[in-house]
Amino acid sequence: MRRLVCAVIAAVVSAMLVAVPVQAQEKTGVKPGFELRPGTARIVLLRPSIKVGAQSTAGMFEPNADWTAQARENIDAALAQAQNSLGNTVTDYVEPVNADPAILSEYQALFDAVAQSVIEYQFFPGNRLPTKKRDGQFEWGLGGDVAKLPGLAGADYALFVTTEDHFGSTGRKVLQIFAALARVPVTAGVHKGFAGLVDLRTGELVWLNADMQMGGDVRESDGAQKRVRQLLEGFPGKPAAAPVTVASAH
Amino acid sequence: MRRWGIAAALACVAVPAQGWAADKVPPLPPYVAAYQPTNVDERGAWMMADEEERHLRDAADVIRDPALNAYVRGVLCRTVGEDRCNAVRLYILRVPAFNATMSANGTMTIWSGALLRLRSEAELGAVLGHEFGHFELRHTLSGFRNRRSGTDLMAWASILIANSSALQMSTIGGFYAFDRAQETSADMIGVRYLATSRYPSAAAADVWERIMGEADATAIGRHRKANQRYAAGFFATHPTSLARATYLRDAAQAIADGGSAEGNAYRAALAPWLPTFLADQVKLNDFGGSEFVLAQLAADGWTTPLLFARGELYRERGNPRDLVAAAGFYQQAIDRGDAPAEAYRGLGLALLRGQQAGPAGIALREYLRRKPDAADAPLITTLVAS
Repeated sequence: MRRLVCAVIAAVVSAMLVAVPVQAQEKTGVKPGFELRPGTARIVLLRPSIKVGAQSTAGMFEPNADWTAQARENIDAALAQAQNSLGNTVTDYVEPVNADPAILSEYQALFDAVAQSVIEYQFFPGNRLPTKKRDGQFEWGLGGDVAKLPGLAGADYALFVTTEDHFGSTGRKVLQIFAALARVPVTAGVHKGFAGLVDLRTGELVWLNADMQMGGDVRESDGAQKRVRQLLEGFPGKPAAAPVTVASAH
Repeated sequence: MRRWGIAAALACVAVPAQGWAADKVPPLPPYVAAYQPTNVDERGAWMMADEEERHLRDAADVIRDPALNAYVRGVLCRTVGEDRCNAVRLYILRVPAFNATMSANGTMTIWSGALLRLRSEAELGAVLGHEFGHFELRHTLSGFRNRRSGTDLMAWASILIANSSALQMSTIGGFYAFDRAQETSADMIGVRYLATSRYPSAAAADVWERIMGEADATAIGRHRKANQRYAAGFFATHPTSLARATYLRDAAQAIADGGSAEGNAYRAALAPWLPTFLADQVKLNDFGGSEFVLAQLAADGWTTPLLFARGELYRERGNPRDLVAAAGFYQQAIDRGDAPAEAYRGLGLALLRGQQAGPAGIALREYLRRKPDAADAPLITTLVAS
């Protein structure tokens, strides 16, 4: 029993203190051969999932309603601005009245699950599943029924955006300094986000960009613009003028 | 999210005042209608709960039957009062386990497994009142702060103190003890809601006594030792069922209020959903527990849905003796005259596996005659033909 409890403590403490460094990780995947020529597609932007808060001394997430509201406003504005440079028509999703909301909710949950799988099993090359090991392969999807989603008739692609920020509190930063003296690595702050594009005719995930260490303070309008730029980095079909490097999955 | 669950374990908390006289129930705290969160932590908790509720509202496993929703909501309002119940959105989830939950922002869920097990409006009111107690006492907020200060202490201790494992262990134990204290205080305010409502406050203890009976039946059915304890374990989030039944019984006896539990009204309101909830329960692969639940529901006699569910339960376990028993239950259901077509299918399949091909064929053909467009009709047709 005592050993079990000690193991639990060790697990809790190490989970709190040690953040796995996310280096040597790919950030963008594009379905091979996928091309989105400017001015050819209608893209629907689904309601972004945004969470902003602080990180307590021990690493717990402390959700902050004001920061989240500010971030939602800033990111919405930055996305609206970014739409002009994306090269295709991007409109906000409007949920039709009288439609079954359960279906959309399920697809958003499914997208989150698929995106997490891509980040874990595609972007870490050493972690790939046996069926995903071929070079240049990027084969993920939500299933063809996504075309039946209400309110998406006439749209070609759906754009999903998710960000989550835990700003390190003062206590966390002080702990970080003391921990460094004791040679224990402690990180302060979590800033992660991902954006993905789904082909609504086939349900295939054609592009995903994920970053576990994003820049830009989403509580400020400049920071939100930087965050949106990073989220949309490598977006297919951007006009060539935009200085963007697309790292396709290999 | 606070939970009222079967899994329980014990409170190191002061057990309630023994001296409540019939007319001396402590008055409920003053209630503020349309409460809005005030500080940064609480506003954050409400924001997270709001986001979760967006998903919950659209979730596929929410039962949207207006009649059932109106009924359950009516019981909540009659228990906690009209002004309080307006703060709550109540969702009935189709999950075959005994549970109900409450979020910071007033999102309450009750699971279909709880509706199946409860036996009167008073018992339903006890469960819903307990959950409302978590909301009124702002338990999500105090629970969050308890976790945060405790983990902060642990983080500093792990760096500044050479061997801090004893301190860390006691802090972790403190988290669970705090949870159990919250559950107990929600139980106690729940009894006060019942005492001020038209329902008898003794119903709360009745719930836990039957839950203990079911836990024992499940354990025995799985060849484990039935084990009801008074003291909660180190990692227990709830007081044990025995502890809850004991202190709730004491409180109800001290209050000594009367009132009608409204068991008949409850059964009538649940009747349209009973076959569905029973079918979900039978699929849990918990023979002892399901048999106990069925026996409890059949306290006033075996009705057709109960007999049919019992037939399914026995046929699913499938020992030769179970097949004989199952065929008997199906036959009793059929003899009552209002059995569903599936009772003939069950009878036929149970007889077929019991090597009685002749009578089995008759029953299965009757099933096909009564439900020609059943999803498994082609399969059953093949079975009959062979």
